Amino acid sequence: METQTTVASPPPKPEPPRRNFADARTPRKRLLADKLARWTVIGGGVAVIASILAILLFILVEVVPLLSGATVEDGRRIAVGPDPVGAVLSDEYRTHVALLGMDGTIRLTEIEGGQIALESAIVPDGAAPILAVRSAPSQSMFLAATTDGRLFTRQVDWLVSFVEQTREITGVLSESIAFQLDLDGQRFGAFTAGINDEGEATAAAVLADGTVALVHRSVEENFLSGELTESFERYTSAPPVAVETLVIDADQRNLYGGNARGDLLWWRLDAGAPEAPQIVTSGRGGVTALSLLIGDRSLVVGHDDGTLEIWFPVRNPDESFTLTRIREFAGLTAAVRHIAPSLRNKGFLAADEAGALGLYYSTSARTLWHGPSPVESPTALYFAPRADGAFVAGADGLAELVIDNPHPEVGIRAFFGKVWYEGYTEPAHVWQSTGGTDDFESKLGITPLMVGTLKGTLYSLVLAIPLGVLGAMYTSQFMHDSLKRYVKPTVEIMAALPSVVLGFLAGLWLAPRIEHLLPALLLMLIVLPVIVVAAGALWRSFPLRIRNALPDGTEALIQVVVVAGGIWVCLALNGPFAGFVFGGSFQDWLLDTTGLPYDQRNAVVVGLAMGFAVIPIIFSIAEDAFSNVPRNLVSGSLALGANRWQTVTRIVLPSASPGIFSAIMIGFGRAVGETMIVLMATGNTPIMDWNPFNGFRTLSANIAVEIPEAPQGDTLYRTLFLAALILFIFTFVTNTLAEIVRQRLRKRYAQV
Amino acid sequence: MATKHSKRSDRLGASLTSLCAGALALNLLLVVAILAVLVVNGMGYFWQRDLVEIELDDGTLVLGEIHEREEIPPELASTAEATPAERIRLKLGNRDLTGFDFLWLDEQQIRDLRNPADAVVLERTEYGNFYGYMVEMRRGDEVLASGSDEVWEAFGPLQERKVEQQAAIRRLARREIGDVNFRLEQLRLAERRLSTAGLSQAEQSARRAEIQERQRLAESEYEALSRTLFDMREDWELESLVMRAADGTLQTLPVAHVVRAIRPNSMGRSAAIGLYLSRLWEFLSADPRESNTEGGIFPAIFGTVMMVFLMSMAVAPFGVLAALYLREYARQGLLVRVVRIAVNNLAGVPSIVFGVFGLGFFVYFLGGSLDRLFYSEALPTPTFGTGGILWASLTLALLTVPVVIVATEEGLAAVPRIVREGSLALGATKFETTWRVVIPAAAPGILTGLILAMARAAGEVAPLMIVGMVKLAPSLPIDHHFPFVHLERKFMHLGFHIYDVGFQSPNVEATKPLVFATALLLILIVTLMNLVAIGVRNHLRRKYSGSAV
Repeated sequence: METQTTVASPPPKPEPPRRNFADARTPRKRLLADKLARWTVIGGGVAVIASILAILLFILVEVVPLLSGATVEDGRRIAVGPDPVGAVLSDEYRTHVALLGMDGTIRLTEIEGGQIALESAIVPDGAAPILAVRSAPSQSMFLAATTDGRLFTRQVDWLVSFVEQTREITGVLSESIAFQLDLDGQRFGAFTAGINDEGEATAAAVLADGTVALVHRSVEENFLSGELTESFERYTSAPPVAVETLVIDADQRNLYGGNARGDLLWWRLDAGAPEAPQIVTSGRGGVTALSLLIGDRSLVVGHDDGTLEIWFPVRNPDESFTLTRIREFAGLTAAVRHIAPSLRNKGFLAADEAGALGLYYSTSARTLWHGPSPVESPTALYFAPRADGAFVAGADGLAELVIDNPHPEVGIRAFFGKVWYEGYTEPAHVWQSTGGTDDFESKLGITPLMVGTLKGTLYSLVLAIPLGVLGAMYTSQFMHDSLKRYVKPTVEIMAALPSVVLGFLAGLWLAPRIEHLLPALLLMLIVLPVIVVAAGALWRSFPLRIRNALPDGTEALIQVVVVAGGIWVCLALNGPFAGFVFGGSFQDWLLDTTGLPYDQRNAVVVGLAMGFAVIPIIFSIAEDAFSNVPRNLVSGSLALGANRWQTVTRIVLPSASPGIFSAIMIGFGRAVGETMIVLMATGNTPIMDWNPFNGFRTLSANIAVEIPEAPQGDTLYRTLFLAALILFIFTFVTNTLAEIVRQRLRKRYAQV
Repeated sequence: MATKHSKRSDRLGASLTSLCAGALALNLLLVVAILAVLVVNGMGYFWQRDLVEIELDDGTLVLGEIHEREEIPPELASTAEATPAERIRLKLGNRDLTGFDFLWLDEQQIRDLRNPADAVVLERTEYGNFYGYMVEMRRGDEVLASGSDEVWEAFGPLQERKVEQQAAIRRLARREIGDVNFRLEQLRLAERRLSTAGLSQAEQSARRAEIQERQRLAESEYEALSRTLFDMREDWELESLVMRAADGTLQTLPVAHVVRAIRPNSMGRSAAIGLYLSRLWEFLSADPRESNTEGGIFPAIFGTVMMVFLMSMAVAPFGVLAALYLREYARQGLLVRVVRIAVNNLAGVPSIVFGVFGLGFFVYFLGGSLDRLFYSEALPTPTFGTGGILWASLTLALLTVPVVIVATEEGLAAVPRIVREGSLALGATKFETTWRVVIPAAAPGILTGLILAMARAAGEVAPLMIVGMVKLAPSLPIDHHFPFVHLERKFMHLGFHIYDVGFQSPNVEATKPLVFATALLLILIVTLMNLVAIGVRNHLRRKYSGSAV
């Protein structure tokens, strides 16, 4: 067959080049222009759309670092002498380290180059041999116990000077202070010491017989000669349980101890004199390490099974305090030996017997990093002052860790969950972003803001949904086109009112009036529906002749007068009504009967103002939904004898309900993101309650208030980006849902 | 049974219908009420009320304008009486003497209430209004006029001269001294740039010497100018006016500090209207005084207009391009549908989110990079790395581009297919069809979108608070210094003005009327734009609903 056809076919003519009509007659220039335009439009269009969508990506990129953990890298190695290092301190810039050897020698060493800048003994000449050493990092202090029952302390101070724009750091050692803890000159066990800026110091140790001895040093300055005279007082306390570790705060108000049974002891001190200790049992294994976090309120407890716990005193209803377990970290696997608190935030490092290290943050309960120690069997651990590095000393020298840990204080749990902050009696959701001092931490709980957002939205929707939907239903179903022509643009103008104007009116005009006229407002809730229904009945009693002469929907215009009259009546009755129901003042009544406070700029005011902003959105979309119900459905219903109202409720409403749903969703989205109205019409206090007469703070207002103060890249800055992200995603999802519902509805109508 | 049931349901239905009508009525009433509140309060701001002198029971005299009258709230009433007493709120002025602006007076305390014909309102550049009587006019120690009427006669011409002098002073300070300052700043930056320019040592020092020479010149010029300015100021403030307050206190103030003197009680109707219009003009055209609480709002109007203009320049081409792509060039499928929904929904994303993005991306990222690349000599003072009118416009452009895209798409979709096919059939390329046929037909749609976008931008405040608005901008974004348009400058905005003056000023009560006037102006602008957009759209709909498809 095939061959046949081939044979039968005429010899192939040379085919003309494939060209279409346009090409044949169009000059090259025009074609080029066409192509160029094509690529411009496609390129430009895609670029615009992509850049709009990139907004989400950009915000996301700013938020992600909040949730990422810390990175810890091995830094420099520092050569040390033959004696093992018992304690490490360093300056802010990590150019120098101060090392205390087990033999009691303090060496200030420059890290680059390894020169020893200063070498001195912690114990003045001729004293007894060293028993043990440790450090008090928050006071930059070394401690050494001697075999004759004494404790010596020396502080390291780093002086920073600038010579021709280069930084020079010089380490200075204070005079050593001696505390005679055991009067008999016996060796003692665990020991600790604290010193404040005035030089007042307390040392404590567990003596051989199990009692705890304290020596308090007070300093008096002769104001003429400036000479210092020191005096020492000694106190003892005999706890009923053994004590194996001790730690004291810098102000020497609290002394904490722990033992192998897992008991924790807490003495409150008054100028060194201890009260009877409070003893609590952790229920875990033995306590092997204790440390205080910055601010000296939180106690980090390390156990022999590697768990770490945070404890602090919590106020009881009777004003007493109980040492309470706040949170715990699964932490390490072997007994915790060293805990190094950060001097910048509530973070800390811990090392266990097996040589594993961990980086934790108390408030956010985050475990930021776990890793092996760079040196074998660590003997000392120090968190550098800027929390950007650490030093670990071990059998084979001293190693530096470089820590990048920009946002440890936040995390999913700290943002959304209840957090037990220092000084609080229970876990709470708190937003309090400004912290002035080092030991005050900012509290970045987003939940109160989210609740505030929902509260404002809820109260505004209570007003907007009925007014918007019912108004739209009336306009589309009962009103003649000639009237609709005026009603719809009026409502659209309402949508265009800038929210700053509404916020201004709500905050400065409405709020002070509502304060006096709240009873009238409540009265309106009852009076207006009644009066409107009555007026409607009256209108229908008019002869049909008159009513038919006017376009459908004239009733609404008449009702404007009725409603205005009703409002006027309610306002006039405000005084008597308040006196009759609330005994004069609504605010007093509210406080007396429910105990709720009244705030002038409250949720009711916001509800009214924001409701006003949302009504036109709900109205327009709902009106569209009603109007688009196919005409033949309505006609069919009416033809079967149903009256107007029956048709509306049984036919129109069910068919339009997805559209109404999407109207409400879009209104919801608008209310959630509204900024200026809530900013101006509430007090912006981030409290969490549903009291309609109280203020609140929304996510959006919070951004507007705080972002000008937030430094770029800071935790607060990124947290506000997170707030923006939540708003973005929330409204985007809501609107998309609404849009999909609407499109489906349109398709369904098209099929009818 | 059936009829009974249907009758009852009829009645119920009718009642519920009425309820719907009531809801609609309430909506309409709310719009009218809000506009009425704004109009009454905003327009009332410029109207001069009569001055009343009130004599109280204890003989004290107070002079002021009655601002409102209300029943004494029960919690404040001194005695429990059957008929509730009324009280009036008097605007006192004379902030420098009394320290407060308003006074509540019980009607019962008032013995006498009169409108003295020679009572004067002085609008001043400092401390707000002064209410009192003219006593004397002096030049130094020399008395120019004395007695209420004589001073009043002499005051008018003198004040006119003062106004001229003030204009001259302002010209000198703004123009000439401003120029010298600008030159000095440029020289300072040029000097800092030298060290980073990578020149040889000799050349550097040669240039530095040149710059320093020019600096010296500019500085001496500056000194000469400021001496002149000082002399002019002294001459300007030479005459003083002695005023007597209602309680007899005498107050001397420079004539130069008086913006306007009015005798409201002896003013005719036409004079009152003239005053009203003159105040309205001042409001629209003058700079603010006393940390925005008085004077005009011209910089805010200018800032708003310029920002909206810049925004439209960005949003119009890009919005149209994106819409053209979506409607004319992209293959209609699932992807385009998804993109369309996404773009649609961006219009519903809260504006503050765009503000946050603008701050992070435009200000810190783009602006910061620009500063490092081109303005490193000015660092650490940021040039583009801080909020400014350019970033604000771009942020708003992003915010409003969905509006333009949606409206343009609607406009494009409304162009009948037949028209397009006709053009193609006649041999036009796709570009020619789009450019000559489709876009002109869709122009009203595009215009609607653009106007709606501009209206939204004019009323939007929240994102701008973050990316560039300030309470008081020292200079407009356009001036006579090269390159004339300063896109990095901060600017003032009507909406932010409302927020700032209404909520951040120390004396909220006294500035409320001004804020009402500003709000009214903003609403007028926005409403006008919207009405135009609605009109255009309706026109468009009528035009295309008629044409056969």
